[in-house]
Amino acid sequence: MIKQYIQSQIGKKQLVAITGLALILFVMFHLSANLLLFLGPDYFNFFPELIHSTGIGLRVIESGLAAVFFLHIGLTVALVRQNRKARGQQYKSVDYSNRSIATRLMPYTGMILLLFLAIHINDFVLQDHSGVKSIVGGESLGLYGLVYNAFANPFRVGLYVLGVFSLGFHLSHGIQSVVQTLGYSHPKYTPIIKHMSRGLGVLVAVLFASIPFYFSYMNIVGCCYVS
Amino acid sequence: MGKRLDLTLRIWRQKNTNSSGEFVTYDLENVDVNASFLEMLDVLNEKLTLSGDEPVAFEHDCREGICGSCGAMVNGKAHGGEDKTTLCQLHMRHFKSGDVIVIEPFRAKALPVVKDLVVDRSALDRIIESGGYISVKTGSAPEANQILVKKDLADRAMDAASCIGCSACVAACPNASAMLFTSAKVVHLGSLPQGSTEAASRVINMVDEMKTNGFGNCSNEYLCEAACPKGIKVSNIAKMNQWYKQAMTNQPLSE
Ligand code: SF4
Ligand code: FES
Repeated sequence: MIKQYIQSQIGKKQLVAITGLALILFVMFHLSANLLLFLGPDYFNFFPELIHSTGIGLRVIESGLAAVFFLHIGLTVALVRQNRKARGQQYKSVDYSNRSIATRLMPYTGMILLLFLAIHINDFVLQDHSGVKSIVGGESLGLYGLVYNAFANPFRVGLYVLGVFSLGFHLSHGIQSVVQTLGYSHPKYTPIIKHMSRGLGVLVAVLFASIPFYFSYMNIVGCCYVS
Repeated sequence: MGKRLDLTLRIWRQKNTNSSGEFVTYDLENVDVNASFLEMLDVLNEKLTLSGDEPVAFEHDCREGICGSCGAMVNGKAHGGEDKTTLCQLHMRHFKSGDVIVIEPFRAKALPVVKDLVVDRSALDRIIESGGYISVKTGSAPEANQILVKKDLADRAMDAASCIGCSACVAACPNASAMLFTSAKVVHLGSLPQGSTEAASRVINMVDEMKTNGFGNCSNEYLCEAACPKGIKVSNIAKMNQWYKQAMTNQPLSE
């Protein structure tokens, strides 16, 4: 039964939807934690330090996330490959002008996200949180310091803005898609969910993007949290 | 006598399933704006026949939008892209003199071209054969109020039952998925008392059959709904998704 479910067209999609939903929740949590950056190092560093202090707990969370993530991608790749085969001979004249951009770009925003994630993990997860890169004004500011120094580089600011807008695009299709795929539909609420999905995608992108911009500004005027 | 149009038609010509086709350009003058799209093709075919050429093969039967035989991509849109319109109900008044009209067959690996604009849609029949029926004979039309059906369910079943199996949804879907067609039948029968007993096995078998025939997966683009001449809603797909999940986990199907 489980095998038949995973091999079926709907089962695979529903697993993509459920893993996608888990990833959306993670992104929301990540975003809320990020917004503490605006309050300064004392507030922001609280979470990473707490998570790191759990030791084994951190490993469990990380492996769980990675498993969900790779399941999401692996199943999607399988679906997309079947889809590419299903047309057979390609259209010469097809008009897709009424296709939504976010939907059309789904596989591509997904790929940009994958690349962005690799860079992002290298930038912040794999670095020593109290190493040289965290030093601002002669003092280590922990993960806050890493973020502060990373966004001194305008190239990285651009990269992150591209990354988070891909994420926003991806979510703007993804959220409403989860609802449809898991089988919920309502004449009144479904259109509202579609709007909310788009709005939420934009909101997530804008809020995430505000951080690199804020820090490149801070780098220009100088950090105000060094006592 | 209405206005007349001079048109350039670029039509996909293909001898048989195994030959590789190509677009052939035809000039057609003096087309009546009141003609339907198929009547316009009739005029072209008459001309071709008289000049000793092979007429363009296209499928049609009722010519009143109820049988599902007709269909082609017209300027890149299934059935020509007019709202809730089959190709036979598309009229030439939507075109202007001087227009170039590109006509291509519906394309999907599961729906191979037989000749010119005619495609083999037996894959859709196989999906129906895998569960799109009820196994018991329900007799002739019973007294209307003998089995009570809730109004919203009756409406839902009636709307879903209006699918004519034209395959425009498959043609319009970027993934050549048959989800809209299949969900219409699953929801139509599953919403009614006579069909609900077999609803769980029906949804499992019909979903399986889509894959066996090589249709693609739904990626919630909703282009099928936009192309459907009968206004079949993607809410049917959501219902089928829900029922499939419930059937596979042995839960009772929700209403
Ligand atoms: S769902 Fe609509 S587009 Fe698809 S086969 Fe039925 S009538 Fe045609
Ligand atoms: S010919 Fe019957 S629907 Fe067009």
